Formats: sequence, structure tokens, C-alpha cells
Amino acid sequence: MAQFNKSDIGALLAKQGILIAFAVFMIGFTLANPRFIELDNVSGVIRSSAILGVMALGVTFVVIGGNLDLSVGSMMSFSTIVVLDLHDKLGPGLAIVAMFALTLALGAFIGFLVGYLKLNSLIVTLGMLSAIHGLTLTWSGGKNMDIADKSGTWFAFFGQARVMGVPVPILIFALLAVLLSLLLAKTPFGRKVYAVGGNGQAATFSGIPRARVVFMTYLLSAFCVATAGLLQASRSMGSQNTVGQGMELEVLAAVILGGASLLGGSGTVVKTVIGVLILGFIQSGLLLVGLDFYVQYIVTWIIIILAVWLDVAAKRGRLWSPIA
Amino acid sequence: MNMTTRMALVCTTALLGGAAAAETMTIGITQNNVGVDSYQTTYEKAFIAAAEANPDVEAVVLDAGGDVARQIAQMEDLIQRDVDAIIIWPTNGEAVIPAVRKAHQANIPVVVTNSNIAEQGFDFVASFSGPDNITQGSRAAEIMCDRFTDMGVEGEARVVQISGQPGYTTAIERAKGFEDRLPEVCPDVTLVETQPGDWSREKSQQVMEAFLVKYDDIDGVYAGDDNMGVGALNAAKDADRDGIVFVGATNFAVGYEAMADGDYWGSIYQSPVDDAEAALQTAIDILNGEDLPFLNYFDTPKITQENMDEFEKPVF
Repeated sequence: MAQFNKSDIGALLAKQGILIAFAVFMIGFTLANPRFIELDNVSGVIRSSAILGVMALGVTFVVIGGNLDLSVGSMMSFSTIVVLDLHDKLGPGLAIVAMFALTLALGAFIGFLVGYLKLNSLIVTLGMLSAIHGLTLTWSGGKNMDIADKSGTWFAFFGQARVMGVPVPILIFALLAVLLSLLLAKTPFGRKVYAVGGNGQAATFSGIPRARVVFMTYLLSAFCVATAGLLQASRSMGSQNTVGQGMELEVLAAVILGGASLLGGSGTVVKTVIGVLILGFIQSGLLLVGLDFYVQYIVTWIIIILAVWLDVAAKRGRLWSPIA
Repeated sequence: MNMTTRMALVCTTALLGGAAAAETMTIGITQNNVGVDSYQTTYEKAFIAAAEANPDVEAVVLDAGGDVARQIAQMEDLIQRDVDAIIIWPTNGEAVIPAVRKAHQANIPVVVTNSNIAEQGFDFVASFSGPDNITQGSRAAEIMCDRFTDMGVEGEARVVQISGQPGYTTAIERAKGFEDRLPEVCPDVTLVETQPGDWSREKSQQVMEAFLVKYDDIDGVYAGDDNMGVGALNAAKDADRDGIVFVGATNFAVGYEAMADGDYWGSIYQSPVDDAEAALQTAIDILNGEDLPFLNYFDTPKITQENMDEFEKPVF
């Protein structure tokens, strides 16, 4: 039998502060409404969160690489609108391929500007947020986009089907999380991303092609956005032009909540997943508790701050640590 | 291209007008953003058609392209041209007020169409022509209540509401109309909870998922527009929950289709054609010296599975 002493437990807590926060909220919401923890709800929440989650996986790489991506919400709207529009024109297969190609082209463009031209990522992606929104509106003429024959297409598979009882969006989210976690933690590319974000100059001196690594993180982010757009389009079979509006901030919140540093160089895929789940379960929990919705905005903020505080406190080993 | 058709229109209506009546009314309109959505595109076509059909009217049709500055410049142009009346679809309810006041000072009556300007500008407006969102909400309550009565559950039915984006006048007014009217027509129906769907189909679907987990027994859903209503419907279908009465507002094409499929019960029909014709008529009535209410609403009728054949499928 393993022997734990106080410092082991302390070290464990320090490493998993955000997990503890997560557990606390789950228990709290379950006490408030036992239905919160029922399988149907849990699976529903994870499925809803999968779209945000897939986007957050990609942004995790961008943030660890020391940059920001505020264009993902607007880019997701673009992917969704494009794949829905092309579905009826080209058929589902070609539509998906074309949508991925176009979204990756946008990602490559951003990656080029930030990686090779060394432009500030905040400015570039903030600008792209509205530029891509304009692109989407131009594509659709402002109209809602809907698949005409909603029941006669296999396109519904990605958003609505279940495989062995598990909703497909959850499977795709899980699969991508595992693959990208391996990519980040176990491959030379992953180590380069940490190196570039942690200390860019040192990375350059050790021969890491900084520009290419940054470029790749944006390409990866665009790939995740395209996947999210596919899930979104397939789930609703129709969409407004603004479907991803504001999601860039939720994505960033999930990534930071998971413990990635905005300064780059730290964070993991697993922690981002936990960040995503915390946000998803907070939303569901507040709905189930039935708080007045004006109050929900405030409570959401309080819970996020609590989570970050618990995480930081666990790392420091104490709740209160004044500056100085 | 747009400019030439518009000029041509001005000329033909002027010719026709000259032949048919001694006095022609010149009515200018500055629209919000034609082409950004099908509602506004249809509105413009209907407005031009209505103006062409009326021999006494000469129309000057302008579009601000969503740009406040351009709209203000267009207002000034119309004042310079000394048109008889100006119709404005505000790009921004606050920023256009000085331009509206300028027209008012030049003794040109201003009709605001579709969405009203802010209250501090009301003194300079001759009339507002547009939809009445409170009535839309109360009509939705009546549709819901009638349906419950047909089903025989009016004594026990439980309803949830998915409202529009918090803070938006349209969202607040529709919710108020629904909440005030429902207990009057169906006193035993309970509105168990309201949550916002932010005018988004996806957000509404998530809200409905939570409602379905929380309440075993939901008989009706009122959504602030059909986009959200269809989102809620998708959630119910996913969860295999049948027999829920869905009622929305602003009948969208998706809502119309879901009604045709028998999944969605009813909505409120708001036609851009009616909207445009009402605006033109309001301006004409004012120039003819008729007494109009300040809020001159056009009718937005109830549409349900039963009478949907009388309505064309919405273009948006």
C-alpha cells in the first residue's frame, strides 16, 4: 500500500488545482439539482461543448506558441455557412473538402502574417475577426443558410448520429483531444511549440524555425475551426451568419481556465479540455438551478474567477499571497 | 446599375403622375442596408413596386448601406431636393436624430419605418410605421392557448419561453406581450421558466436541452423568433420528446418548413411587402392630411399549420 505524507498530497493538489475546482462545482450543482449529474445531461453538455472544445484544442497550440487567435469565432461562422451553402450545390463530400480547404487557406494567411511577417497576433486576428465576418456575409448575401433536404443526406452524421450510444461530436472531440495531446506532448513539433512560446529568441538560437512553427499553429487552429464548423452545420443543418460570434472569447477563457499562460510556453491539451468542460457545465448548471438570466452573467464570472483562484492558490500552496 | 433603375423609376413615375393627377407627391426613402438580408431586399422591391403602382407618387429610393454617415448625407440630399416627405429606416436609432430634426425644421414630415428611432427624437417624427412586437407576443400566447384547448390540456399545460437577446427592445416587448396575454386567455397554463436564446438557433438548442432535463413535462415552447424556435425543436427531436407545441414569431423559412412537416405549430407572419407598403401608405396619408396614430402599426397575422396555405413561404 502506498504511503502518502502531507507534502505528497500538497504536490498533487498543486498540480491539479483546476481539477479540484471542477469537482467542487460538479458537486455543488448536483446538490442544487440532482438531475445535473444524470447521464443524459452530462452527455448533452459534453456534446454541446464539443464545438467550443474542438476550437479550443487548436487555440491551445496558438497560445502555447506565444500568440493569440481572436478570429476563430468568426472563422467558424464562415466554415459553417460555406459548408451549408456548398452542400446543396456540390453534395456533402465535396462541400466538406472545399470548406476545409478554404478555412485552411484563411489559417495559412493568418499564419503567414503572424509567423513570417512577424505582425502582432492580437492586431492580425482582431482584424481578421471582422474581415472574415464580412467575407461570410458577402458569401451568403446576409441570408440564413439552410440545407434544403434535411432528412435525405448523410451530412447529418457528424452532428446528430451516435456510435455505440455515444454522440458523434463527443467522439470527434475526444479523438482530436487524444491525437493533439500526443502531438503536443510526445513529438518534436510539440516541443518546438513550447520552446517558441516560452522563449522565442532561445528557440531561434537553438535552430528552431520559429516562423514555420507559428505558421503551423495557425494552420492547426484553422483545421480545428473547420472541424467545429462541420459539427455545427451538421447539428443544425442550417445557420445564421453570426453562429460563432463571441466564441473567440469563450475559447480563450477555456484555454486560460485550463491553465495555459497568455504569455505562451505553458499549457496542455488535457487542461484545456477541463477548461472547456467547466464552462459547459457552468452554463448547464446555472440553467438547471434556474437563476434569473441577468444574474447568470455575473455568477458565471464569479465561478470562473473562483476556479482560477483555486488553481493559483493550489500552485502557491496557500489561498492568500499578497504581492511583494 | 441600381442608380439607373432608380433614376428611370423616378422619371416614369413622374410622367405617369403628371398625366394622372395635377399634384404629384415626391417621397424620398433612405433605407438601412439593402442586400444584407432577404427581408430588406424584398422590402425595397415591394416599395418600388408600390410606388410605381401609384400614379400620384414619385419615389426617390436611396440606400445607406448600413452606414450612418451616408444615411445622414442622404437625409440632407432629400431635404435639399425639397421632397414632400421622407421615409427613413434608421441605421442607428440615436445617430440619425439630428438629421431627422433638420427635415422636421424644413417642414418635411418624416416617417420612420420598421424600427423606431430613440425616444428623444419622437418630437421630430410624423409617424412610425412598423410591426407591433407587444401584439406579436400576445398573439403568440393566443395561438398557444387555442392549441392547448384543441388538445384538451388547457387546464394543466406547462410552457417554457426562450426569449431574444437580453436588452433588445424587440425581445423585451415580445416577451411582455406573451407573458401578459397568456394568463388572460389560459389562466391555468403555467409559464414555468424563461431563458434567453440570444436570437441564435444553437444557443436556443442548448437552453432547450437544459429545460428538457429539468422538466419532465413540457407542453409548449414560445420562442422570440422562429430561428430559436427551430433550435428548441431540434433539441426536443434529439431527446425524443413528442407532443410539444412550438410557437415562434417572425415566421422564417425554416419555421415555415417545420410547420409544413407538422413539427412546429405556429408563428407570427411579418411580411417585408406589408412593411414596405405600410410605410409608403403612411407617408401618403400624412401628405393628404389624414390623422394617423403616432405608432402606425401594420398587421402581423397569426400563422399556424391550419392556415399556412394562405401565406407564401418567407424568403428569409
